[in-house]
Amino acid sequence: MTIVHHPPDELLTAFAAGILDLGQHIAVATHLTGCLHCRRVVHAMEHVGGGVLTALPATAMSPGALAAVETRLDGLAPAVATGLGKAATGLTDVPGLPPFVRDYLSSSWKWIAPKVHLRPIRLPEGSATRVFLLKSQPGTKMIEHTHTGFEMTCILTGSFAHAGGHFGPGDFDFGDGATDHEVMIDSSEDCICLVAMQGELKLNGIIGRLLQPLIRM
Amino acid sequence: MLNDKPDDATSDAARWAALIAAVAREKDREAFAALFTHFAPRIKTFMRRSGASEQSADELAQEALLAVWSKANLFDPNSVGASAWIFTIARNLRIDALRREKRTRTAGTDDIDLEFQVDDGPSPDAGLAAAQTESRVRSALATLPDDQLRVIELSFFDDRAHAEIAQTLQIPLGTVKSRLRLAMNRLRGLLGDFS
Repeated sequence: MTIVHHPPDELLTAFAAGILDLGQHIAVATHLTGCLHCRRVVHAMEHVGGGVLTALPATAMSPGALAAVETRLDGLAPAVATGLGKAATGLTDVPGLPPFVRDYLSSSWKWIAPKVHLRPIRLPEGSATRVFLLKSQPGTKMIEHTHTGFEMTCILTGSFAHAGGHFGPGDFDFGDGATDHEVMIDSSEDCICLVAMQGELKLNGIIGRLLQPLIRM
Repeated sequence: MLNDKPDDATSDAARWAALIAAVAREKDREAFAALFTHFAPRIKTFMRRSGASEQSADELAQEALLAVWSKANLFDPNSVGASAWIFTIARNLRIDALRREKRTRTAGTDDIDLEFQVDDGPSPDAGLAAAQTESRVRSALATLPDDQLRVIELSFFDDRAHAEIAQTLQIPLGTVKSRLRLAMNRLRGLLGDFS
């Protein structure tokens, strides 16, 4: 698969720095799962983090800190590599998700609009960013909408197009409050996206306003 | 800051990697003490700047070094540089501490380690000597103008980074964003093509 649309560098740096909230982190991690190029950028940024850490001024440790730590060393068992011990339970049927997300709980698809279904992903942590899967059937023209916060969309299957370009599997679509999307699903299969969203989503037009209470986002 | 000569950076990176290897292989306490002496006070600063209190920053720095000891056997000098590896340990502890503060969880940092595992395949730099990557990054950082360096350094701190950088440096937010973009472009150029 050819990935054309990547997260901006600032977002990859924030991911490497570990300062994204869990919802944003999941969106970037989903892109990274399919994108070696951005994994390399993140890897380099972790080295930048190492450089930053090393160059920070020292703050004196409390007296006896080293001795206190040394007395605890003997009791420590060597670490084992972390991995997904148990079989993933929640989201095994959706391709392209990072391993840790496959373990999250998710409810079933629910209808939100003609030809559009939504499946919320329940995060194990509080997060200001909501995460859900959105499935749209071929030929769907998504209702024009505006968002007050940002919206990160990772395409898992299928494709869509809007004024910002054409987006296929692996692509990352980053929209901030200014974006006004009119999205056309142009693949012959269902288009499934992982969406991380902050702020209010406002559907435009009369039909949109009627649907708003159903979506509750 | 960050103005070590590339040669120093290379030898530092190799020395730290050797110390971690000695901890992994022989449970070498002298090597551990050397790592503690260099990294713990810097991790403490890292935690303080992330908003931790004096006491919890101290505790987190100690926790980080305990993790260096117990995870040393997982350190692969061929895939990651020593200071980058220690940075990721400190980073994940910071995330864990912030979540504990919100009392939303009781699990440990293993979960956070998993959240950074985005691929089952080989590490992005497999085949490339990691100490080399590390010294390349450090010499790239050393050639950046100071204002760009400050922006990059502070962008490792929190999600209000841009606004805070603007306040710290007393420049408009737009200037921070353009400086960060400049610094990133410059850094990307210096590091070479990733793809």
